[in-house]
Amino acid sequence: MLAGAFLSGTTGRLLPPLIPYRFFATAVVMHLAAWVVLLAGADSVPDFTGGLGSVLAALHLVTLGVVAMTALGAAFQLLPVATGRHLGPHWACHLTWWLYAPGVAILTAGMAFAWVPALHAGAVLAVAGLAVGGVVMAGTLARVTGMPAMTRHAWIALASLLALAVLGLLLVADFTTGFLANHAAVASAHALLAGYGFMGNLAMGFSYVLVPMFVLGRSAPDAAGKRTAALAAAALVLAAAGVLSGAGRLAALGALVGLAAAALHLDALARIVKTRMRKRLEPFFRLLLPAWVLLPASLLAGLVLALGLPAGRTAPLWGFLMVFGWLLSFVTGVLQRIMAFLASMHSVVEGGRPALLSALTAQRPLDFHAAAHMLALLLVGAGIVGGKTVLVRAGAVCGIAGAIAFAIFAVELARRYRAHRGASALPASSNR
Amino acid sequence: MLTQTRTGSLLHQDHMRTIDVLQAIQEMTHRHPSAPAVEGAVRADLERLADTMRAEVERHFGFEENHLFPLFSKQGEMGMVVMLTHEHRAILPLALEAADLAAAALAGGFEETGWRNFRDVAAELVEREIFHIQKEEMGLLAAIAALLDPAADAALSEAYRMAVGGEAGE
Repeated sequence: MLAGAFLSGTTGRLLPPLIPYRFFATAVVMHLAAWVVLLAGADSVPDFTGGLGSVLAALHLVTLGVVAMTALGAAFQLLPVATGRHLGPHWACHLTWWLYAPGVAILTAGMAFAWVPALHAGAVLAVAGLAVGGVVMAGTLARVTGMPAMTRHAWIALASLLALAVLGLLLVADFTTGFLANHAAVASAHALLAGYGFMGNLAMGFSYVLVPMFVLGRSAPDAAGKRTAALAAAALVLAAAGVLSGAGRLAALGALVGLAAAALHLDALARIVKTRMRKRLEPFFRLLLPAWVLLPASLLAGLVLALGLPAGRTAPLWGFLMVFGWLLSFVTGVLQRIMAFLASMHSVVEGGRPALLSALTAQRPLDFHAAAHMLALLLVGAGIVGGKTVLVRAGAVCGIAGAIAFAIFAVELARRYRAHRGASALPASSNR
Repeated sequence: MLTQTRTGSLLHQDHMRTIDVLQAIQEMTHRHPSAPAVEGAVRADLERLADTMRAEVERHFGFEENHLFPLFSKQGEMGMVVMLTHEHRAILPLALEAADLAAAALAGGFEETGWRNFRDVAAELVEREIFHIQKEEMGLLAAIAALLDPAADAALSEAYRMAVGGEAGE
């Protein structure tokens, strides 16, 4: 429904490009920053189980800076067009960015340098931005009566957002006061609510809208979406309760239910892809396919962690598979397609043709990014498993190279978009 | 894609046929970096393009612009009508040019220059038409389901049968 809803609201539902693109541009910058900061903290990666420093900052640069940043920009644009309901006021979207983007920058700087004032100020700003953005999304979702496959996952995401924000603020306060009885348990609950709860459910919900559109396949049945949403919600409650109470078996049960949700979700997506009209999958699927493999892989890592395997290697592997493996692969894949898609939609100047996606997209940087990203995942993953920091460093360098290539794609997209609009406007203005 | 209306189902079948032809042409142009002999599978693909593309695109676009879009306009969905009509204006000349080039090749074969020209036109046609069909499959068919009551849907599918042909009663 997405594209057509764009159509049905060309004047009302296609947002001014500044709103989504300022989130996307920030995500592109923070993507590069995340790999740079991970390189700086490479020595600590294989044994990382929490605490302030570069690794924590790198994780949050990906989760808050890339994944949630992209999710906010995409949700503001996708929700009104996919649901046919109007978004809240545009100023609220702008305010979200003005609070959230600096907040994430300050918060992650505070984490990297263990600078408490920045930690506190950044956390407050970032949570305030997420709160405004969450209210905007909730306002739209509350007026939707259909599309349960997408909306139920979106509601779970918003509920998780509320919980993870509360836990996040408690964790930040605990760095200086030490009032939490079990900081590590709260941090784990915060991580799973953020990764699987907020970002994961947004990814699952929007996949039910985006994947059929891109492959020209059948929509996912509502029943499938309802099942995956119910299982995902149950998994989150069980896992969070298990982690917070120290009941490993309960957390493991949550991981198992999460695996069931992931299996049904991936089965629904596989059916969509199998029934597609387009024979050739577009290049961005080479990032989505490994992401879909790494989602259950991260849950398996979480399962063995919950069952009592020593956290020394398993915990960083779980976090890396979830954040850099599943979420970052998925989001960079979707982001490159949405950026070009929206640019084409905005490229029409009166009397001219819309720009071709192929003309807007610099494919070589994206090819390079995909290869470098996959190599980075393999090297860092191997470095964690083997306890080899040299592999982590090499992986981070590959990640940096890939992120630079992705940034080149984004800059080139903007340049080509402006050039197309400029060239399209010339004949019109010269005729006046 | 939503095809629970008769009209949506008919438009969807049109899209399927068009995508089928376009993907065959795309595969053919990828298989042959230089001008191929117009025989066998190449001839069959060009015949499909020359015979069906022109008629299908002209009739499909004509039905939408003359019968469907006025109903949407009455309901205030001008944004959709303007954008899709705009895309029709970009796609139709390409479809006609590709069909003409295919017909010429069927009559006299491809020279290298003519082959390159055909590949360029076909590549742009495939990309624009598939992007257009993506929007119609995910949006236009949903909008038909949302905006047309069963009586209007029945009348429109009958209009489709008169204008385009096919089994409106399916």
